[in-house]
Amino acid sequence: DALLGCHRSYRSRPTHGIGKFKYLLPQEVPKKRKEKVQMKEISAGTEYQYGDVNIQMTSYDLCLVEHFAQYVHRLCNRLSIRVNESYAMPTKTNEVLFLEERGSKMQLDAVLTTHQRVVQIRGLSSTFAPILLEILQSNQPEGVHLLVKQHTEADFKSRLKSRPELEELLAQMS
Amino acid sequence: PCRAQPKKKKKVDVKKEQAQKERMKKRIKKLEKAAPELIPIEDFITPLKYSESNRVRSLPALSPEESERRVLLLKKWCLFKQKQDEAEKKAIKALVESQQEALKELRLESEELYQAAIRRDEGLFPFERDGPSYTPPLPGYDPPEGKCVDITKVYTQ
Repeated sequence: DALLGCHRSYRSRPTHGIGKFKYLLPQEVPKKRKEKVQMKEISAGTEYQYGDVNIQMTSYDLCLVEHFAQYVHRLCNRLSIRVNESYAMPTKTNEVLFLEERGSKMQLDAVLTTHQRVVQIRGLSSTFAPILLEILQSNQPEGVHLLVKQHTEADFKSRLKSRPELEELLAQMS
Repeated sequence: PCRAQPKKKKKVDVKKEQAQKERMKKRIKKLEKAAPELIPIEDFITPLKYSESNRVRSLPALSPEESERRVLLLKKWCLFKQKQDEAEKKAIKALVESQQEALKELRLESEELYQAAIRRDEGLFPFERDGPSYTPPLPGYDPPEGKCVDITKVYTQ
């Protein structure tokens, strides 16, 4: 009985690995760990190519700005321009108050939300840049404000939450 | 005036200050360990009131002529949009080709000018442009007095 209960199979024999079954089970996805938000390297670009360029679209109308951002992303894909990221900036809410004709009280007129979408591209050649700007301008929808500029660290920092305690302590230290 | 026993305040002060500094450094290290978070975007969070209601819209039934008309209109619109898109692609191609031809001719003319033309333009960015408006601003309009208040929610970590 002791001889029959032994599970050892020699590596040279054809019975090697006879009891294995884990390769038949479906692959388990490894647990996703929360990725730390780190700033990606900002490329400066060569003499004939621009580095990281941000195309920022701002508007009061959410659907319009979303669709325009999607259009710009697909356009860059079609023109084989590398798109690093395509994200949304936090929305800003503005309360518009106006002074009544008779009286000194401020009357609430409207609550406006400003939405902003950013498409970040890399490796735009210097000869193609004016053409791209022409296309963007001709397809710009009403009320959407377009801004094209180089990507900086300050732009990235504006997306992160502010940490007043850390800043206070750092100010105290120095 | 010299004293028999010198004051011990200085040593204790220095020690206290050092201990305080170390405590602050520890606190800073702890806060810096936590990774910075992105501000949550309110656009992507649907407010609860739109998911809780049980109102359902009941649309009237379409007659077959109406649905036929709509399908044909959709097809015509698709064709129109396709033609528009193709014209745009053709225009882009023509622009690029003419640019390349012009650069070739320039190269044949003088190498220096060609190199200067290929270089990137520093004055191009930042580029700003306001979108076209449905109605241009009226010339003699006098807007009522008022002010804009920014009430965006400030998130802190």
